[in-house]
Amino acid sequence: MREPIVIEKLTKYYNNFLALDNLSLTVSANENVGLLGPNGAGKSTTLKILCGLIRASSGAAYIDGVDVAGKPEQALAKIGAIIETPEFYPFLTPEETLGYLGRLRGMGGDELKRRIKEVIALVRLQDWSKVKIEKFSRGMKQRLGLAQTLLHDPPVLILDEPGLGLDPRGVVEFREIIESAGKEKTVFFASHQLVEVTQICNQVAIIDHGRLLAYDSIAALEKKYKSLESAYLELTEAPLE
Amino acid sequence: MSEFEKLRIVIGYEFLKHIRRKRLYVILGLTVIAELAVLILVPVLGDGFPDNIMVMAALLSVGPSLAGIGAIFFAGDAIAGEFENKTGFILFTNPVKRSTLVIGKYLACYAAVALLVILGYVIVTISLLAIYGSVPIETLSSFGLCLLYAGSILSVTFFFSAISKGAMGATVITLVFIMVISAIIDSVLAMTGQPHWFMLSTNGDAIATVYGGYEAFMEGFGGGGGMMPFEMETPSVGLSVLSMVLYLGVGFVLSLFISKRRQLA
Repeated sequence: MREPIVIEKLTKYYNNFLALDNLSLTVSANENVGLLGPNGAGKSTTLKILCGLIRASSGAAYIDGVDVAGKPEQALAKIGAIIETPEFYPFLTPEETLGYLGRLRGMGGDELKRRIKEVIALVRLQDWSKVKIEKFSRGMKQRLGLAQTLLHDPPVLILDEPGLGLDPRGVVEFREIIESAGKEKTVFFASHQLVEVTQICNQVAIIDHGRLLAYDSIAALEKKYKSLESAYLELTEAPLE
Repeated sequence: MSEFEKLRIVIGYEFLKHIRRKRLYVILGLTVIAELAVLILVPVLGDGFPDNIMVMAALLSVGPSLAGIGAIFFAGDAIAGEFENKTGFILFTNPVKRSTLVIGKYLACYAAVALLVILGYVIVTISLLAIYGSVPIETLSSFGLCLLYAGSILSVTFFFSAISKGAMGATVITLVFIMVISAIIDSVLAMTGQPHWFMLSTNGDAIATVYGGYEAFMEGFGGGGGMMPFEMETPSVGLSVLSMVLYLGVGFVLSLFISKRRQLA
């Protein structure tokens, strides 16, 4: 089992609320998969379990064959993640923040300095690299969030609504960065923006009420339902048994 | 990369947080003000400085003991803040053990608190040297007890930070627990003649009573032991040390255990 992401029969309860219901899916290497679903469908819960932030009630999640619950450090070493709107320590600058996170991932010296410069330039925060984050807007924090996912050049990116809070230019720039990264990496990407998903991903998984409703290539879904939008609307409006 | 190296990195950046926050300098300022108040008010309101150096040393120990307050303000948001401010979404997705993060935060907080204690005892030492020309050897014991007291308060604060939703809640609960609840129970136990060596407020008193018990301390206010409204036996330093070690160990282990289990939903 060496697929980048394997989700096996994941079930998650928040008290009595069933957030994930026996969810299983596999993301193969270098695939870019969009995770679609209405609010409360279980998208963020799935990504949080993959990132070791919460525990599943049952089932398992694997990153590159490593059980996230059993060996979280080993699994997390393979990923770069943005979950919800990222928040950072306000007393640090982007350079210091990336220095901290890079060092925690075993980077250091000139390589880390060079890489920090690269990712800061990539997300266009050069003029703010030495400014304390307490002065940052939501969009700027989102940019820094993307910079920290790419800093250590991980093979797997797990992104939860990465375009949230960005201005239109930022959304386009983000899309281009993720699209470019997706050529060499596996991207698992939760979003409400169908256009964004279409441009970045080649496959989509549609979930609702914690259940997997469809998992196929965009082309196949468009063929079956006329468009991705129709597929989404048709699949997510059906009442669940 | 070993967990020890990661721990070193966490301590470094967490200590930087304390250095950049105003609260460190506010408590440092309060420590200086407390010491100045003793140095000015004792001779002005009394009949000059006390003849007994132990009494003055005990009175001056009020400054360093403010490190306990510092510990609460530094550590209240240590764990709760990661969940409340959602900075944990970034920090916890890194390949580092939660226990490493918590231990690193604890040690960085402790380093900041130790700064306060050291500053306080530097003032105590300089003042005693200037007034009496010597420093009692008990100052060393008082210094050690103050460091231990700060550590035990830090552990209790970490425990409340681990179980609280918000940083402010954790800070307030710890303040109320130590300054109000513990102090009330302590007083009741003392007044009724019951053992109270296991109360944190009593343990804090050891920082001053190491110079000669409650009697010597109250003598500094000009009334001697007679100022006590009831008979109050000074708890043994050994039992206070045991109690503080227990608070430190149990509080810290519980905060580690809870932090590791806590989910960031």
